[in-house]
Order: sequence, then C-alpha cells, then structure tokens
Amino acid sequence: MSAATAIERDASRSGMNGSGTVGLGLRLAVNGGREAVTRLVILVVAVGLGVGLLLTAVAATNAVTSWNNRHAWFWTGTQWAAPGPATGVAPLWWHPTSDIYDGQTISRFDVAATGASSPVPPGLSHDPAPGTYYASPALAALLRSVPADQLADRYPGHLAGIIGDAALPSPNSLVIVVGRTPAQLATAVGSVKVTAVATTVPGNLGGSVTISPARKGHRPQFAPNFNPNGLKYMPADTGAPASGTDLILSVVALAILLPVLIFIGTATRLSAARREERFAAMRLIGATRTQVSALAAVESTAAALLGVAAGFAIFFGLRIPVAGIPFVGQPFFSGQLTLSLFDVIVVAVGVPVAAAVAARLALRRVNISPLGVTRRVTPKPPGAWRVVPVLLGLAELGFWEAHGHPASIQGQIQAFVTSFALIIIGLFIAGPWLTMAAARLMARWTSRPGTLIAARRIGDDPRAAFRSVSGLVVALLVTTVATIAITTQDAKDPTRFGNIAESHVLTAQISASNAIARNSGPGVRSGTANPGPAAPVAPLAAQLSAVPGVQGVLVVRAVPGLTIPGRFENLGVNAFGVVAVGSVTPIPAGVVSCAQLATVPALGRCPAGAATAEFPADGFNGPLGFNPNVDTYTWPAANVSVAGLDALGVDGINVATNGAPATVERARTLLKASVYPTVSPPSTYADIAAQDDSQNSGYQQLANVVILVSLAIAGCTLAAGIAAGLAERKRPFSLLRLTGARLSTLRGVVALEGAVPLLTVAVVAIGTGFGAAAMYATEAQNRPMVAPGLAYYLLTVGGIIVSLAIIAATFPILTRITGPEVARND
Amino acid sequence: MTPDHDAAGHSAANLSVTGHGHGASGKFIKAVDLSLSFGSTPALRGASLGVAKGEIVAVMGPSGSGKSTLLHCLAGILVPSSGEVHFNGMRLDRLSDDKRSALRRDRFGFVFQSGQLVPELTAEENVALPLLLSGMRRGPAMAAARTWFPTLELDGLESRRSGELSGGQAQRVALARGLVAEPEVLFADEPTGALDSMSGELVMNLLVSAVREQGTTVVLVTHDARVAAYADREVVVRDGTVGTLTGAKP
Repeated sequence: MSAATAIERDASRSGMNGSGTVGLGLRLAVNGGREAVTRLVILVVAVGLGVGLLLTAVAATNAVTSWNNRHAWFWTGTQWAAPGPATGVAPLWWHPTSDIYDGQTISRFDVAATGASSPVPPGLSHDPAPGTYYASPALAALLRSVPADQLADRYPGHLAGIIGDAALPSPNSLVIVVGRTPAQLATAVGSVKVTAVATTVPGNLGGSVTISPARKGHRPQFAPNFNPNGLKYMPADTGAPASGTDLILSVVALAILLPVLIFIGTATRLSAARREERFAAMRLIGATRTQVSALAAVESTAAALLGVAAGFAIFFGLRIPVAGIPFVGQPFFSGQLTLSLFDVIVVAVGVPVAAAVAARLALRRVNISPLGVTRRVTPKPPGAWRVVPVLLGLAELGFWEAHGHPASIQGQIQAFVTSFALIIIGLFIAGPWLTMAAARLMARWTSRPGTLIAARRIGDDPRAAFRSVSGLVVALLVTTVATIAITTQDAKDPTRFGNIAESHVLTAQISASNAIARNSGPGVRSGTANPGPAAPVAPLAAQLSAVPGVQGVLVVRAVPGLTIPGRFENLGVNAFGVVAVGSVTPIPAGVVSCAQLATVPALGRCPAGAATAEFPADGFNGPLGFNPNVDTYTWPAANVSVAGLDALGVDGINVATNGAPATVERARTLLKASVYPTVSPPSTYADIAAQDDSQNSGYQQLANVVILVSLAIAGCTLAAGIAAGLAERKRPFSLLRLTGARLSTLRGVVALEGAVPLLTVAVVAIGTGFGAAAMYATEAQNRPMVAPGLAYYLLTVGGIIVSLAIIAATFPILTRITGPEVARND
Repeated sequence: MTPDHDAAGHSAANLSVTGHGHGASGKFIKAVDLSLSFGSTPALRGASLGVAKGEIVAVMGPSGSGKSTLLHCLAGILVPSSGEVHFNGMRLDRLSDDKRSALRRDRFGFVFQSGQLVPELTAEENVALPLLLSGMRRGPAMAAARTWFPTLELDGLESRRSGELSGGQAQRVALARGLVAEPEVLFADEPTGALDSMSGELVMNLLVSAVREQGTTVVLVTHDARVAAYADREVVVRDGTVGTLTGAKP
C-alpha cells in the first residue's frame, strides 16, 4: 500500500470518528423506518416531560426562596432584624400588628415618618401621610367589596394607593401600611423607631413558633436576640422555614421525576434488539466497539437535545398553572417561578450528557460482536434479605409509637425522617424480591398459558418488571402518608381546638402576665403587657352586644396579684410558665361579672349566689388555650363587688358569637378600632383552624398532583416496557397466534405483565403508607388516624385505571405485529 | 367418493398437481386453483395441490416462489383471493377466522424454521403449550409433554430455556410442540433451514419416525433436496403455480 493510500485510509477513518459518526448516527435515528421514528418521538416526549418537570421543580424552589425573601420587611423593627444606621437618617416610627379577616391573616404596619429621609417600606413611593393607608391589591379588593363595619372601619383614614407587587409575597397577600403621626405612635405599646427597613429574613428561630396546639410542658424558645432594642414581636405572616419547604419540594420533585426517569430508561429499550442487531452488522463490516458506542450515544443525545427543547417549552407552559397551586398556603406570582442562568446551563448541558453516558452504559450490558448480539439468559434472582430494610423502618416507627418519641424537635425529626427514609428506600430494595415471589406463586399454580407466560417473564427479570413501576412507590407512599396526616390534622373541623361554643368565642387579649411573657407565635407580641384602661370598656361592650349575632360579652377585669390555685382543675400543672414539668403554679387571675359570664357559657360558670368570679387573666393565651373543658368549670367566687368592677383595668374581652362570618368580623372591627392594644390579633379557634387548613389544603393539592402525574407516567412506562417486550418476542408471539393461540390469550399476557407489577406495588405502597401514617398519627399528632376522604380514593383508583388503560393501549400493537406476514422467514 | 375424487366429488384430473401413486387415493387436504397477491405482487397464480391422509409431501421451490404462501393457505393462516382449500371435506377458505384458528389449534401442528419457542418458558412448558392453550390442565399437559423428550433425544433438557438450547435441540423441542397434540396435519416450513446438515438429518429422521407412528399427514416446505428426499412425494412451486411432480421417495 502506498503512503498516499494509507494516509487516505487513515483520514477516512478519522472522519468516521468525528462528524461522520454524528451524521451516521443521526441518519440511523431518523431513517430507521417507522419503528425508529416512533422510538425517537417517544424518547423526545419522555425527556421533554422529565426536563419540564425538573425545571418546574427547580423554579418552584426558587419561587419559595423569593416568596420567603419578600417577607423580610415584615421583620422590620423586631429583635431579629438588624438595626439601621445610627445617624444620617430620620427615624420612622414603626408599629407592626396583625389582623384576621375570614380566617385570613392581614399584616398591618402603622408608620409615621419623622423627616424627609425616613425609610420607606417597599412597594410604596413614599410613607403614607396620617389619615391615609396603602393596601395590597387583594386587600384593596376586599375593602371595596366588604361592608365597612366588617373591615375598613379598622383603619383610620382612606385608601390612598396600592402596594406594589414586588413587596408582596403572594398575589393573595393581605398587607396594609397605615399613616400615623409620630405623636400617636410614640405612645402606642408595640412601637419602635427604625432607620432601615429589613431586607433579610431571620435564620432558624430555633423552636416551635407555630400556632398549633403546644403540648403541656413544651415551651417555645426564641433564638438569641439580634437587636436587643427591637420589638419582641413575630410577624403574623413569617413565610415558611426554607429547609422544611425545600425538603417537601424535593420529595415532591423526586416523587414525580423518578417515574419520569424510569420512563425515559424504558423508552430507550424500545427496538433495542433491532438497534443492537444493526450495530452487530456494523461490527461485521469493521466498525469498532468505540464507534458503535458513539453511534448509540449520538442517537440518545439527539433525542435528549430535542427533549430539552421540548422540556423548556413545557416549563413555560406550566408556569402559570403551577404558580397558582398554593403549596405554601398561598399562590405565587408567575414571575417568581424563575430559573437562574446556572439552572438553565446545568439542565441544557447536563441532560444530553447524561443521555449519552446512559446510552454507553446500556450497551455495556450486551456483547455486540460481529456474529450477533448475545445476552445473559436469566439474571440472578434477588434474595430475601431485601425485605429487611423496610421491615426495619416499620419496626422503628412502631418502636417510637410504643415508647414515645424524643422530646426535642431535632430528635423527633431524626426519628421520623429515618423511619420514613428506611421505609421508602426499603420498598425500593424489597420491590424486586416481592415481584419475583408473586410471579413464582402465579407460575406455580396456574394452568392458564397466558398467566404462565406473564408470570415467567416477570419472574425471570423481576428487577426490570419492578423498575417500570418503582417510581410509583415514592409517589403513592408519600402522598398516602401526607394525605392521611393532613386529614388527621384538620378533618375540616373548626372544633378540633376546642368545643363548638369555644370555637366561636372571639377573644381580644390585652394583658400578659409574667407567666406567659415568653410566649411566641405569628402575630404575638411577647413579653408582659399591662391591662387596658377601665373606662372605655363599658361603651365598647355595649356596642359589641348590639352587633347582630353576638350572644354575650365577658370582660376580664385586672386585679394585680390575684391568683387561682394551680390545683384548680389542674390548670397550674405543667401549664405555660411552668419551669419544671410536674410542678404546680398559681394561675394569674382577674375578675369577671357573673351576669356577663352567664352570657358566655363556653367559658364556664359562677358558683351559685356569686356576683363575681375569679378568671384566668391570660385567657386563651394561658392555661385555657386549646382546653376543651372550659365550659364545665365553676370558677371560684371573687371578693370584688359588681360596682367595684368598673374601676378596674381590662385584661381581656371575650365575645360569644353565633359563628356567622359577618358577626365575627363586625365584632373584630369594633375591637381593632378600640383603644385596647392586644398581644395577639382578636381571633376565634375557627380562625386558627382556617389558617391551619389553608396551609394543609395547599399540601393536599400538591399530593393530588403527585398521585395523578406519577400514576399516569407509570402507565406510560409500563406501556413502553410492554411495547419493547413485544418487539423482542414478536416472532414467537406471532407464530403462537398463527398456530391457533387466541389473540385474547396474548392480550392476557400483555395485560398481566403490566397489571401485576402495577397493582402489586400500588397495594404494597398504599398499605405501607396507611400503616406508617397510622403510627405517625398516634405518635406525633396525638390522635387516631383519620382516613382520607373520597377524593383520595377517587384519585388513586382513577389514576390506576388510567394506567391500566394506557397498558391496554398497547393491544393494537400486539394485533399488528402478530399478523401472518411475520411467519415468512427472514 | 372414489380414490380419484375428494369428498366434494372433484376429479383428480382437474387438479394441476397430478399426485398419483401414493397420494392419489382421496385428498385429505387440498388446494384448488389458489390465487393470492400481496399488494401488487402476485404470490400464487392458480396453484393446486392435493395431499392424501398420512402422506408426507415436500413442497419445493426457489426463494420467493410462493411455497410458504401455499402452505399458509393450506393451513388456514391466509385466505386466498380466489380458489378453494379443502380439509377432510370442509371448505377451509370459507370458515371464519375464529374457526380457522380453532382448526389450527386443535387439528394442525406447526414447525417453523426458527424463533417459535416462547423464551420465558422452559422446554417442557413450550412443548405443553398447545395442550394448555386448548384447555388441558397443567398436570396432564406437562406429563404428556415429557413423554416426547426421550422420543426426540431431549432427555435432561426439560428445564432449559430456549436460549440455553442448541439450534438442533431447540428445533426438536419445536417439533415435539408441533406433535404433542397429535395433530391430523403437520405443517413444517423449512424445519431444518437454520440447522447444519447433521442436525437437520437428525430432526428429519425423528420427524418422519414420529409422524409415521401417529399417521400424521405432513406438508413440508423446503428448498433443500436432501430434506425433500424424506417425503413420499415432491412438488415444485414456481412463480406461484405448483409445477412438475417428481416421484422421489425418502
């Protein structure tokens, strides 16, 4: 051979290794007939779906961060916000409070500028003048639509403008900034001067700061003070702990993405046998293993690139509907669902690279020699040891149920997270063995040929059979546990925090004793608070009594130093303010009129013949909080005359209502517009339940989305797996049909191969979810599990039916590929 | 009915295949003037063939001549666009698809060149499959299947999968499957096409021995003269018609 020929030969070889390989790979992908094009389309759709969901999950995480960050300015003036510059800026008087309307939280900020350089809250062009206020769009709409005596009368002045979206966490946020004079705020309890508006959300607050029922003996804790001169006040709307929300979103993303990834993997198996035979033919004529591997990678990468483009399109299409899902209790602005440049690059580059790597790895499992493709005949069966992890997880959960969970929050998180992680991972590990065991049982006992073939196929490669449906494990287990936990938590029952009558008592708590000085919570001003003035309460009580639907008014009058023995109804045992568990503390008390108490029977009764009675001064903020037995108590008679009450200050005002929203809001408006500042917003138990429910309903919607999407994708995965399996067995199935086997028998094989793994996994995952949720309910939620409602069953059963229908959609393939033309020898 | 006429009374002289001698006395299965096209490509053009009960007939011809198509028409797999197919006095071409399928399931057996074994099943399960498909219970079906293993020199291979068998072994398993239900007619399409000559010879010896014992009629498609030599009679299909008869004996 001449040197020129050798060079030419080498040059053509190197051409095949570069652009030639890419060109050939693309031609094979597109020109390989209908089968190849179908495969390409399915791959593009699968990758597009996966990329779209991945981008949506990443954007949702970014949205949560943005949503949280927009709460930053709510912390202005509190102990957790850094103080502003000491000089050079005219201070702004800042008075944060919270309010409630129809169970929704309103964040209120009364401000008074002391100079032109006073800081301005975000979303406003200037500080509101006295007699004016700025409201968020949602609150402005409410102010226009609701009668003034139910809402607008709470705010002095008139609406001067709308707060810009950039300052609001959510389109539904209810926020108001009220203009005051410096003199008004200087004398108001809970006011502070600030020289800067907070721009960062405080970090971990280190303790329970929720409004859910706190357990006896469990004290909320504050993090170390950041600004000792700031207010001991936590905004009503604090956002959500980023770590917790990110964890939930990560689990949701995994629950949806895992089925999609498995779908992609299964779709790549479509016509794999024919591709591999093609590659064997190429090896025969001199292609190297590397070239064949590269060709496979080109095809997968091409599909992945197209899929990435489709994925971005899906993401932009999903943005608006996803933004509307209130999975943090509120919807997002669609503009909050953003992707950073880093996110885009990682996905746009990472997915095609991953596809190329996966294609190369897949080819390593088969030996493509010039004489054909050889495969392992029967993989090694999975061992019984695989069920150990899931049993360990269930056993750990059972252990905590039997012995009680750790006292600290951190310990509880570790206990429950490890239990659930073991259960989820354990199901993944046990799945192939469970599948194989079920298949072997079927094969042993059946006489039906279709069942025999299906059972053998599943039993031969249980890993592959389980892999098709393994994504369902996470989805069904997590959503079952989440749905039951949510249902147990709220059960749509406003009386879960107290009896019915208590639920409709509107309480305005004015004073706070030393005993509960360290109470914290959204909208709660912690620290001691003095009683309110004596005189204005009588006309206020009269106004309240005149509101249609108000059944009674009970004013708790302040008597400094008065206490009720701690053994009274054991209210002082392990109550708030107790230093050590098991000790008994006297309850700070005020005095009530028995005539008034009789109009609010939910709060107990007087002894016979008494005119006044002692009553806990801290009201529902104290030992009466979440106590369902208050209506049965007979309070001790007080040593104060009825006439003497008028001169005493006011600890609290309780209004018994009929629960009608208009009644509650009118009474609340009167209380908010009064001279009495409260340590927390005037509220009923029904308000607390509604706020709890709004968060939970968001999670429930998320769970519903996960169930539907993952079941549908599992069905697609199964269908793709079945189609791939049919292609591999085209000839024997065709010849079986030709020799007289009924088409229904072959359809039975197809149906069983799809349905058996799907239903087995669904039953096991749902059953395990129920078991885990039941133990979690009794242990962490302190109540028996409440079964989920009809919606859960409809969604789950509906999703399974959709999956089975998708499997049935492969029947026409069976009919088509088993036609008589297949009997002709190749 | 005379030896020269079938159950319908057709004269043997009207057939283009004059299978006299061993096959002349009554046609158990026959094709009369079959025509069939695949799209615009004619596969059969007036093909006729008669096979007597218990006869082994080899259908030969070059690739693409239509011999497999003729076999498929005789087996009821394909319906000709014109002509008649008779089986034991029955008009096969007029039966519904379900009835033809039932016929193939209950009264015919098949052996193809390759790829007919279900890969998930063991050898004995593959052999038992026709019995299971016809509704027999698993125990008796497996017992019946096992009796074929010594007959076809497959001892010890009962639990093997198709991927674990050699080509010759797999083809013998396929043969056992074709015969386990004691069919009246066995259709074999290139049964040794994928085998070497020694394996092919073994398969054919066993096939002939088994069918003789059962009295099964055999229609055997092959392009291999050595395989055709096992037949009682050979016919040639050329360009969609059944042509010259040879009187070759196995």
